[in-house]
Amino acid sequence: MVASRIAFISEIKKKPVTEQYPYKPISVPEGFRGKPVIDPEKCIGCGACVNACPPGALSIYDEGNYRVVKLFLGRCIFCGRCQDVCPMGAVRLTDMFELASLSRDDLVQEVRLLLEKCSLCGKAFATRREVRHVEEKLDPEQRWLAHLCPRCRALVSAKMIGYARGCNR
Amino acid sequence: MRRIDRRSTWVFHLNSGSCNGCDIEVLNMFAPRQDAERLGVKLVGSPLHADVIVFTGPVTLQALPYVIRALEASAGAVAVLACGSCACGGGIWHDTYNVVGGIDKLYEILKERGIPRPPTVYVPGCPPKPEAMLYGLMLARGLARQKQRKQVYVEEAREK
Repeated sequence: MVASRIAFISEIKKKPVTEQYPYKPISVPEGFRGKPVIDPEKCIGCGACVNACPPGALSIYDEGNYRVVKLFLGRCIFCGRCQDVCPMGAVRLTDMFELASLSRDDLVQEVRLLLEKCSLCGKAFATRREVRHVEEKLDPEQRWLAHLCPRCRALVSAKMIGYARGCNR
Repeated sequence: MRRIDRRSTWVFHLNSGSCNGCDIEVLNMFAPRQDAERLGVKLVGSPLHADVIVFTGPVTLQALPYVIRALEASAGAVAVLACGSCACGGGIWHDTYNVVGGIDKLYEILKERGIPRPPTVYVPGCPPKPEAMLYGLMLARGLARQKQRKQVYVEEAREK
């Protein structure tokens, strides 16, 4: 009798578990994978996230002078693989979850990066930031190679090897 | 969406072949922790009674005729809440052989049958949090402001 009365009193002292959500903001647990955001200042447009994205929410294509990295949240499964593979740490999963929107266009993030043209044939092949990123890793005397498109680079390298071995053709 | 301003929102849960992740979160929305019923949101058993249709899944071909029948029957529904990435844009199944692939492609099929496109709230997430769905319902009722906007960044040419 006494034990049940103590249990009853301790039970009615408890607060309800219901959150007051739309009126008060809630906190998300640690490590929560929310909306992925591309930091446009850090992104170099390499496309590593596009390769890793399982549902194809991220896409990359060239449009005019720009390379466009496009993230469509309506297809994202919030797995965080883009965050894992990004070499620049540009993609980050935030703790935002209030993503509901009235139109499909609002779920899009676009990053438009300028393209670099090959110094020999003039074809656009990579973004300027990507070329700069590669340049920094090369020796100073090899840096001009970063400004060539893959095809021209192969041709030039083959010619250089040919000259070094003494054949003039 | 004016009509649901004044009265409680009754929702009908329409599963179009989803993996049940979103469906569990829809039921969680009515569990004690989130308790959508304190806001007047009630789960009803017929699309005829519904104000909002909570739509989950990528619309598999097997479910397609029943989904069309349910949406045709929902005469009183004023909004559709597309819950989860599958319903929003096809999700991970967007190019699979046996799915229609998201609610927008379903609307194209409905258009051929002469059913107008109802106002739609997209709630991405895999699955979305119950709070995210509640926020979507509040957005459909006009009680919350939309936070998500399209972001476009264009790199400007600088001198080297």
